Amino acid sequence: MISLAGRDILHSWGKFVFTGFGLGLLIGVTLVMAGVYRGMVDDGKVLLDNSGADLWVVQKDTLGPYAESSSINDDLYRSILALPGVTHASNVTYLTMQVRMDERDVRSMVVGIVPGESWGAPGWPPYLVAGRQITRGHYEAVADVATGFKLGDILTIRRNRYTVVGLTRRMVSSSGDPMVFIPLKDAQEAQFLKDNDAIWQSRRRTEVNPAFNRPGVPGLLDAINASQASSNSVNAVLVRIAPSAVPDEVAESIRRWKRMTVYTRAQMEEILIGKLIATSSKQIGMFLVILAIVSAAIVAFIIYTLTMDKIREIAVLKLIGTRNRTIAAMIMQQALALGVIGFAVGKITATYAAPLFPKYVLLMPQDSIVGFFAVLVICALASVIAIRMALKVDPAEAIGG
Amino acid sequence: MSGKGIRINGLRKRYGEGDTAVDALKSVDMQVAPGEVVGLVGPSGSGKSTLLKCLGAVIAPTAGEMVLGDEVIYDDGWRVRDLRALRRDKIGFVFQAPYLIPFLDVTDNVALLPMLAGVPNGEARKHALDLLTALDVQHRARAVPSQLSGGEQQRVAIARGLVNRPPVILADEPTAPLDSERAMAVIRILNEMAQEYETAIIVVTHDEKIIPTFKRVYHIRDGVTHEEAGEGKGFE
Amino acid sequence: MKTIPFQRRTLALIAVIVPLLALLVYVALRSGPLALVAVTETEVESRPIRPALYGIGTVEARYTYKIGPTFAGRVKRLDVHVGDYVKAGQLLGEIDPVDLDDRVRSQEAALKRVKAVLRESTARQSYAEAQARRYEQLFAVRSISEEVLTTKQQELQIANAALTAAREDIDSVRFDLEALRAQQENLRLIAPVDGVITLRDADPGTTVVAGQAVVEMIDPKSLWVNVRFDQVSAQGLAADLPAHIVLRSRKSETFTGRVLRMELKADVVTEEMLVKVVFDEIPVPLPPIGELAEVTVDLPALPATPTIPNAAIQRHSEQLGVWQITDGTLAFVPVTLGRADLDGAVQVLEGLRQGDRIVVYSEKALSPKNRIHIVEHLSGVLR
Repeated sequence: MISLAGRDILHSWGKFVFTGFGLGLLIGVTLVMAGVYRGMVDDGKVLLDNSGADLWVVQKDTLGPYAESSSINDDLYRSILALPGVTHASNVTYLTMQVRMDERDVRSMVVGIVPGESWGAPGWPPYLVAGRQITRGHYEAVADVATGFKLGDILTIRRNRYTVVGLTRRMVSSSGDPMVFIPLKDAQEAQFLKDNDAIWQSRRRTEVNPAFNRPGVPGLLDAINASQASSNSVNAVLVRIAPSAVPDEVAESIRRWKRMTVYTRAQMEEILIGKLIATSSKQIGMFLVILAIVSAAIVAFIIYTLTMDKIREIAVLKLIGTRNRTIAAMIMQQALALGVIGFAVGKITATYAAPLFPKYVLLMPQDSIVGFFAVLVICALASVIAIRMALKVDPAEAIGG
Repeated sequence: MSGKGIRINGLRKRYGEGDTAVDALKSVDMQVAPGEVVGLVGPSGSGKSTLLKCLGAVIAPTAGEMVLGDEVIYDDGWRVRDLRALRRDKIGFVFQAPYLIPFLDVTDNVALLPMLAGVPNGEARKHALDLLTALDVQHRARAVPSQLSGGEQQRVAIARGLVNRPPVILADEPTAPLDSERAMAVIRILNEMAQEYETAIIVVTHDEKIIPTFKRVYHIRDGVTHEEAGEGKGFE
Repeated sequence: MKTIPFQRRTLALIAVIVPLLALLVYVALRSGPLALVAVTETEVESRPIRPALYGIGTVEARYTYKIGPTFAGRVKRLDVHVGDYVKAGQLLGEIDPVDLDDRVRSQEAALKRVKAVLRESTARQSYAEAQARRYEQLFAVRSISEEVLTTKQQELQIANAALTAAREDIDSVRFDLEALRAQQENLRLIAPVDGVITLRDADPGTTVVAGQAVVEMIDPKSLWVNVRFDQVSAQGLAADLPAHIVLRSRKSETFTGRVLRMELKADVVTEEMLVKVVFDEIPVPLPPIGELAEVTVDLPALPATPTIPNAAIQRHSEQLGVWQITDGTLAFVPVTLGRADLDGAVQVLEGLRQGDRIVVYSEKALSPKNRIHIVEHLSGVLR
């Protein structure tokens, strides 16, 4: 048995392969689009994974610390630590801001973590790709490689300068901004401390207020200024619980006794993925559908054109007695072959293009497999029109007239 | 695959119905014996093409009888169920343009039908090569049709028409695109093949140069055939 | 196939399709769950580590002198400016006494007046005494009545009392005068010790209340750094440990010093320990009071133990540990950690032996199922 489709492909393989490349780029874009969606979801998930927490204690009635701002006292963790079932409780601050280095600034999420010999405390970067973890209590930073910083770089966050001592990977906020970890106290300062001008202005305001600047009480003004400039707030307490403890129970006891809002991992995921990126992901989903339709239309068009180019030969084939089955198979096989080439090209381009995107693109194998079969189905469906065309050709056309 | 040639009696073909009906073929009688090459000539609109399509089992006549070999294929209605298989197995086609499949090489163009019918590739190709050798184009066996000259293409087309050893070959203006020397060569080949494979060959043509080569010629005018004795000249 | 059609084409096609397929397979293996995880490894070394503590603090002066009048007044003159070095006893400025001099003169006049009163009282008393004596003699010869004598004696007593009152008045007025003169003296601002002026709060013409500082001075020899150390990482902190001080404005310079004392009161709110670190040699020029300083306190070196980089420490299934590589396969080894130094080396007390190979950096969080391939540096890390 001879494969007409294969022979046709062999004959005009240049055209065929180029068409396949074109289609492949389109499929690649579709795969990347799916990867963008997966990446958004994954950004949310790694944020939760990397925090290493089982429970998030935040300001009452807020969706903090990622989706809303939350502010709680930094000594709260001590009383949480005393609750049964809690093994670790760490203060943490999150602040999305521009981190400057020389002339360049990078949008990042600055995370304040408890430094020192508290290895693996919640909130710490769980693994590094270079350098070391923060050892000093001030002015050191661990940055995500996506920031483009390298070891030894000096970053400016608010008024302080930080030396990059470690690099990590895939530490991002839910909106994909790379993280920069700095010691908690510096982060508290960065978050709640005003800039110098504001401090001066506020000092002047306090100074002219007769209530605060009493001639007979010399130390009062200094005390008020100091109290205005200091901050004892953090955004959340990350809680890790004992393996035997039930998250919901521990969460309930914190809610009940500490009068705080507490989220478990499942609730946090719901907040991040269900609320924070819901519209963006729908947007991407729409794009994905449109791209799939466009791809299908283009495959249909390509197959149709390829078939129309051969309409005379098809007429001859029919006249000399070739079965419809053979002709349909030829067209279908070509469509599928085009799909396979397109998929291969698409998968390869998507894989190599993914790291070039500024935000994370996660290509999941199951997406690729689904994508592969979707491409085959689309190609098969697209070839139906061409097959119908081919079967309608009158063999009599081959005989002049 | 020798047969008894082709015989047609009182074949009629009417296009349309009622007042607008046109009788393309009014009364056609033909008989071509195995090994014989006959000409079919007539002016444009005389019904040549219609007759060829009826003979080729592409369109259905309105009435009459067609006998192919010893099988009645049409008797006021088709008598065979699978016209496509009929075309494939019993009728060979040679067209005005060769209409070779451009993406197959010469051998496979010829061997295509047997291969599609399930004959092992090697066997089919061997047979095809034999035919090509007989037609003296074996040296182009691996070329694609676009690399061949017009005469070579036509010879390949003839080989394809012959491959299933059909009892009848319909040749539609096979010499039209060729100069007279090559046209003559094609006719000679058709005659040789007709002899060798005991095939009845009907050549539709209006080429004045080759008409004299036929021993018998059917003239068709206004849907009616008249048989005439040809000059039966040589091919030189 | 006996006859291979389009051999050249077939070869060309294969030349395109085979690399494409190979690339696809490569891509499928490289990304996704089958992909190898790139890691870097290191060997557990046995070496001594020298832990150090790191804290920040502000430059402060141990002794600060706030000099001002004890009496409300207007600043008359102020001879010193911030940064001036002054000697003990040096006159720094004066406060305009306003009405003090007048009040002194008034007191002087009052003194004269009470002195006159005294003289008058003395005269009255001596006359009354003479009269009393004479009448006593007259009474003795009974030339006057007893009533007259009693009258004279009473007059003498009154005169005595008046004299005593006048004397007391003089004391009172004199002391008042002395008090005012002492105040006059206090209007002169005198440096109590050798030192440097750090603050000049009022300029001539300014009225100051009693007790308000006009100038502030410090003894530069008493400069120290008030350092805060996080309680988490303050283990081993003790007096007399050597320290390195880096001033925020002089990043490139390191000053040596030592821990003077640890405060017995820690900061409850910030969870920090307060430590005073003194300079071995006072920096010149003097650092401004209140400047931020980074202080590193060197602790005694610890004996050699297996140490690992802190980047190797990972958490896996509720335990701290490291990923050990044995013949190319991963195994998680829980470890007990000891002290660490500021360069990221951590002692391993239990779990690893010298010479064990462990993962330092990895592309992602590891699990025992991961297949790894060991590289020199992880890709994507800018160097």
